[in-house]
Amino acid sequence: MANDPIHQFRIHDIAGPWNIAGYEISFTNSALFMGITVATITGILFLASLRGALVPSRLQSIGELRDGLIDNMVKNVLGEEGKKFFPLVFSLFSFVLIANLLGMFPYFFTVTSHVVVTASLAVFVVLLVVVVGIAKHGLGWFKLFVPHGVPMAILPFISLIEIISFLSRPISLGLRLFGNMLAGHIVLKVFAGFVVSLTALGVGGILGAIAPMAMAVALTALEFLVAGLQAFVFAILTCVYLNDALHPSH
Amino acid sequence: MARQRDTKGEDTGTDPKLGDISDRLNDLSSRLAAEKSLKAKADKPIMQYQGASDYSKGYRLASEFIAGVLVGGLIGYGIDRLAGTLPLFLIIFLLAGFGAGILNMSRAANRTPPTAEELAKMPKPDDDDDEDK
Repeated sequence: MANDPIHQFRIHDIAGPWNIAGYEISFTNSALFMGITVATITGILFLASLRGALVPSRLQSIGELRDGLIDNMVKNVLGEEGKKFFPLVFSLFSFVLIANLLGMFPYFFTVTSHVVVTASLAVFVVLLVVVVGIAKHGLGWFKLFVPHGVPMAILPFISLIEIISFLSRPISLGLRLFGNMLAGHIVLKVFAGFVVSLTALGVGGILGAIAPMAMAVALTALEFLVAGLQAFVFAILTCVYLNDALHPSH
Repeated sequence: MARQRDTKGEDTGTDPKLGDISDRLNDLSSRLAAEKSLKAKADKPIMQYQGASDYSKGYRLASEFIAGVLVGGLIGYGIDRLAGTLPLFLIIFLLAGFGAGILNMSRAANRTPPTAEELAKMPKPDDDDDEDK
């Protein structure tokens, strides 16, 4: 059905399914759009860095601005030490941003509107924090869960809360991106659906459809803002969490 | 730039043309430095999401809180499933998760703790105690 707001999130096989090592694996529309996302990022960055002019062209500016934004963010949050994580943060930011923006095209599939994708990215970030933290500080990194100056009597309780707080990070990180994209696209579709069903009612319906039409236009603009903002938030929270791995003392 | 010229042995002060240029260069570099420090100041509050809209701030706080409760409940339920003591650990960890959610939220709302000066400026918390009496 064209009016079903959930229909756009349905995953269907494009090729396959193949049976590989006992698992059913197929090339879905989600995989296709992940591939398109990566190809777009690579293509834009390749074209942007092709000329390397002193006075950047528009395309080169896009690449340089994106680079500068993430570079600033990494430097501000992680300091000079965090330079190593620039490629990671840049890749995550680019992937989320381009996936969000590609989802704004009609009939395109939004990769980040599936919790599996966003949660995988988030879990990867938090696992990286644990690995880097232990590699850098050894077991001393676990002091992160033992705040300074807490009386011994309530320390176990505080530690428990700190641990749960730490474990909830991938959930909130992944859930937020997923929720924003899902909710935005559903609301957009619902308002667009109002326009279609109201215009079927005749002259009065067409007049009545003006309001949801205006709403759909405004929501489209908002969705573009959300797409950029959520990519930015995802990147900066990655930096904030990595900061815990580098400097575990609160 | 001006120093480079000095090491070459040219007396920048006497030559009216060059002196003018080096003055202007000095002026420019000092202005650039001032702008740089201003920009560094402006870049600082990036940690506090000052650019983010209210909508996304609210959504962020809500998701932090929900994640805390959710994870607490899941851990409690998992322990109960393994140990067969169904409501006990679920209740304990749900409460701890509630605490973790509040902690998450307060951290998200104010990533950087206030400085001593900012604390002094804040209204004292016992202000409205008298009104209640």
